Amino acid sequence: MSTAIALPETLDLKASAPLKQAFVERRGQNIEVHADQVRRLGGLCLQVLLAARKAWDEDGKPFLITAPSEAFVETIRLFGAEGALLQTDIQGAAS
Amino acid sequence: MDELEAIKVTFFQECEELLADLEGGLLAMQDGNDDGDTVNAVFRAVHSIKGGAGAFGLEPLVRFAHVFETLLDALRSNEIPSTPDLTAVLLRASDVLADHVSAARGLGTVDMAASAAMAAELKIWTDPNAAPAPAAAAPVETSQYVDAAPIVIGADDDGMDDDDLGFDFQPMTISLDAQAEDAAVLEDNVWTVSIRPKSDLYRKANETALLLRELSRLGPVQATLDDSALPALEFLDPEAAYVTWSVRLETEQGEEAIREVFEFVDGDCDLEITRGEAPVADVLASLLNVAAPAPEPETAFETASAPETALIEAPVEALAPVVEAAAPAPVTAPAPAAPPVAANAPAAPAAKPAQIDVPGPGQSVIRVDPERIDHLIDLVGELVINQAMLAQRVGEYGIAPSSNLAMGLDELEQLTRQIQDSVMAIRAQPVKSVFQRMPRLVREVANMTGKQARLVMDGENTEVDKTVIERLADPITHMLRNAIDHGLESPEERKAAGKNPEGVVRLAALHRSGRIVIEVQDDGKGINRERVLSIAVKKGLISPDLTLTDEEIDNLIFLPGFSTADKISDVSGRGVGMDVVKRSVQALGGRISITSRPGLGSTFTLSLPLTLAVLDGMVVDVAGETLVIPLACIVESLRPKAEEIRPLGPTGSVLAVRDSFVPLIDVGLTLNYRTTSPPATDGVVLLVEGEDGSRAALVADAIHGQRQVVIKSLEQNYQQVEGVAAATILGDGRVALILDVDAVINLRRRGPPLPSDPTLIAAE
Repeated sequence: MSTAIALPETLDLKASAPLKQAFVERRGQNIEVHADQVRRLGGLCLQVLLAARKAWDEDGKPFLITAPSEAFVETIRLFGAEGALLQTDIQGAAS
Repeated sequence: MDELEAIKVTFFQECEELLADLEGGLLAMQDGNDDGDTVNAVFRAVHSIKGGAGAFGLEPLVRFAHVFETLLDALRSNEIPSTPDLTAVLLRASDVLADHVSAARGLGTVDMAASAAMAAELKIWTDPNAAPAPAAAAPVETSQYVDAAPIVIGADDDGMDDDDLGFDFQPMTISLDAQAEDAAVLEDNVWTVSIRPKSDLYRKANETALLLRELSRLGPVQATLDDSALPALEFLDPEAAYVTWSVRLETEQGEEAIREVFEFVDGDCDLEITRGEAPVADVLASLLNVAAPAPEPETAFETASAPETALIEAPVEALAPVVEAAAPAPVTAPAPAAPPVAANAPAAPAAKPAQIDVPGPGQSVIRVDPERIDHLIDLVGELVINQAMLAQRVGEYGIAPSSNLAMGLDELEQLTRQIQDSVMAIRAQPVKSVFQRMPRLVREVANMTGKQARLVMDGENTEVDKTVIERLADPITHMLRNAIDHGLESPEERKAAGKNPEGVVRLAALHRSGRIVIEVQDDGKGINRERVLSIAVKKGLISPDLTLTDEEIDNLIFLPGFSTADKISDVSGRGVGMDVVKRSVQALGGRISITSRPGLGSTFTLSLPLTLAVLDGMVVDVAGETLVIPLACIVESLRPKAEEIRPLGPTGSVLAVRDSFVPLIDVGLTLNYRTTSPPATDGVVLLVEGEDGSRAALVADAIHGQRQVVIKSLEQNYQQVEGVAAATILGDGRVALILDVDAVINLRRRGPPLPSDPTLIAAE
């Protein structure tokens, strides 16, 4: 089983609860997170992403962020969260 | 310690990949592709190597990587422009870095003088005003890699920060002078800002990202995130603040300017601004998420202000101890929280893989000991033989093909075959791993020979069995050396001939009829056939009255004892001639040949079986012996009619096959199983095609059928036999020889054999 989530353009306060819900519903499946649309990423959604990442790691299921937009990558780096959220393959894709 | 060793092994495996990335990126830059992404990727590669090396206390490696990285950092921030000259320097630096990695691994040594010179060169690029003096001191450094206690650093695992992670590598800079400079930076410019947003901050539509971005306007920032307070996904309040940050900021501006950034969030965010670095141990604790003993963020950041002076001074003194003894790690030593870290040392390696492990949590890649796979392949090979034997036994009992037993056996056969294919697929690897070593070789050989060469690679992703991959490196190395040393002209000669002074060497891999073909092509002067011929005659390798075709002359260079170089050069005259290459390739069931066009260049073509483990073959009977002919070579089989066979010369004969004649070869005669051939019409003819596309009709007495056989090397178990590629064990337990079709064709074609020539390959 695998599933995918397409992140919206703006990941702010309003987006964090739906985002969490989306992840909770898909728990236990291989997941691909499409981050190509993202233009803004805030701290709350970052927390959701980090928590989701941890949850998927715990489950031993692949958690892939695909085609991250430049803004997404830039903000993740700004947050110092690249270790958790930008895997090597993504880095490669971004390069 | 074992655990640490295991991590170290992983680190070095990663280094290989990172070095390849580095080289790939630099080569892309050389080709003019110097966009930010490429430069960033190159930077990341060096940064990650440095990070890992720091963790293992690989001092010289860290120091070199640091200088390298500094230059790359300047490059990616556009402080210095990317030029072909710079890229060339970076490429050479990547070679030195690779040497350092090898040395750290215990494979080979580093020329420390060269390394220091390189570091000095890099420094000059970074800062043209810098005196090269500091580097002069560098050769004093010992190149010994000490198994130091792991200096547990907060190495970010990705290297995508905007700035050097000062706190982890500060003590490892190249020279004391640089050390002093860094110390100055520490004192004046570096701030640690700890940001702990409250939930209200977000509720009021403020944003940490914006704060961080504002901070980054003041100077380079590196945020370290602490998510230890983050609850599990299910329990996460999506609107509460959990994550905190510690930001290292380098700025000329004062504390006021930093505070101003947070003006609008006053009260909604706990803020602490301290001059200097956050203590390593604290940052570590937050990075590694040492769960239980993790200090309260409060205390962690409060200690931040204290130890800066210790940090500045300690490294200078601590530098020597690190090199000489596996004594206290200098990074952790000065920090007040060092004891907890030391106490956690056994835990540290456990925490480390999360950062080191490249495949990441996706676990899309498993690293497996190759021996296990080899063992599995051996077992599956036995299974295949066993299955064949079983089938044969059952056949002997005359059981009907439609019976349950026979059908079950058929299914078993299919399953066995699928297992075998799958197992072989595990071991298949792209030739990239071999190819990626070649750019460096080309650079070095070109440098040594004073030629300009550019390597173009093609088909790096062509997959081939690991057993073959391992044997590809040597022949490719030789072919490339030869192409540059003997093939390419000097830049002056090339200019005179109206060519680009930079020669192009093309290395390509492709699959062709069940084999892997490696081509090395140069656009040099081609083979000087007159000279080759005269040398061969002079050395008594061929008789002077022999008339040879152009191809035959070209392939004379594979004769033992042949060397055309006027002077023995550093590069090609290392005692390994093309004859040795040819022999080693033949031993693998491969062939190597060369074609050349005067003035336009030469092409080496090397072909090897895709796997050295299994083979699809036709089992035939020749003079009472059972032989296997590789299916890949067979075009068709037929029973010849008398009128299709025409005599040719005193003993030869040809077979008319649809408007063309192909030489008729009695396998029994060629392999000396018999002395006279029975009439070909009594037997079966297998029309085969050799590596070079030449056809021949092999005569066998009878065909038993088609079978997959497990190859057992004759060379390993006995010795090479001409005309025989390998052996196998048949279903009934008997050994059968696998025919080397090309060798059989050539044995016959060669006619009166040359005294010292094993096989002279010539294209038709």
